[in-house]
Amino acid sequence: MIKLKSVLFAASIVASGTAFAGGDAEAGKAASATCAACHGADGNSTIPTNPKLAGQYESYLVEALKSYRSGARQNAIMSGFAAALSDQQIADLAAYFSAQKGTLQTVVER
Amino acid sequence: MNLLFSGIERRLITLLAVGLLLCAAPFVQAGDAEAGKAKAYTCLGCHGVLHYVNTYPTYHVPRLGGQHKEYLIAALKAYRGKTRAHGTMQANADLLTDQDIEDIAEYFASQGAE
Repeated sequence: MIKLKSVLFAASIVASGTAFAGGDAEAGKAASATCAACHGADGNSTIPTNPKLAGQYESYLVEALKSYRSGARQNAIMSGFAAALSDQQIADLAAYFSAQKGTLQTVVER
Repeated sequence: MNLLFSGIERRLITLLAVGLLLCAAPFVQAGDAEAGKAKAYTCLGCHGVLHYVNTYPTYHVPRLGGQHKEYLIAALKAYRGKTRAHGTMQANADLLTDQDIEDIAEYFASQGAE
C-alpha cells in the first residue's frame, strides 16, 4: 500500500511537471490581448521599439517574462505586466507567440 | 551693422545652416549593415547557431534576424547600462560604442525571413 502511494505520488509529480512545463497556446492566445496592443495580435510588432515575438523561441520568451517579473530586466512597462503573471500564464503566452509566423530567424554565419 | 548681409539675409542664412545640420544628423546616427556584419562576428558564436541554448538557466538564445533595429539598440544599451541582467551579454556590450551598436542592430534587422 505504501508502495502504491509512492507510485501515485511520483506519477502526480510527473504529470503536474509536464502540464506546467508545456504552455497551452490556446490559453496563451486568450491571455494575449494585453500584449497585442504593443506587440501586435500575432506578435509581429509594428512599433520599432517593441520586439517582434512571433516565431521567437518559446523558452526565451519564458525567460524574458520571468526576468521582467523578477526585475533582472528593468522596464517600467513590462515589469508592470509581468508582475501580474503566473508561471503557467507565462508558459501559455510563450507557447502562443512562439507558434506564430513572422520574420524572425537565426542568422547563420556564412 | 553688418554691411555684407541685411537683417533678413542673416536670418535666412542661419535658417539654412540649421536646416543643413538637421539633414546631416540622421546620417551620423544611422547604422551601417555592412560594418555591422563584421562587428557581429562575436554575436554569431551563440546567436548564429540554430537552437543554441543558454545554460543555468537553460533556454534558447533568441533569434535576432529580422528583429526591429530600435529594439536591438535598446537591448544592447540596457545590457551595457546593466539594467538587463546577463553576464555574457553585459561583458560583450561593455566593449561596444554607440556606433557599433547601431551597426550591429542594422545588420540583424536586415537579416529577417521573408
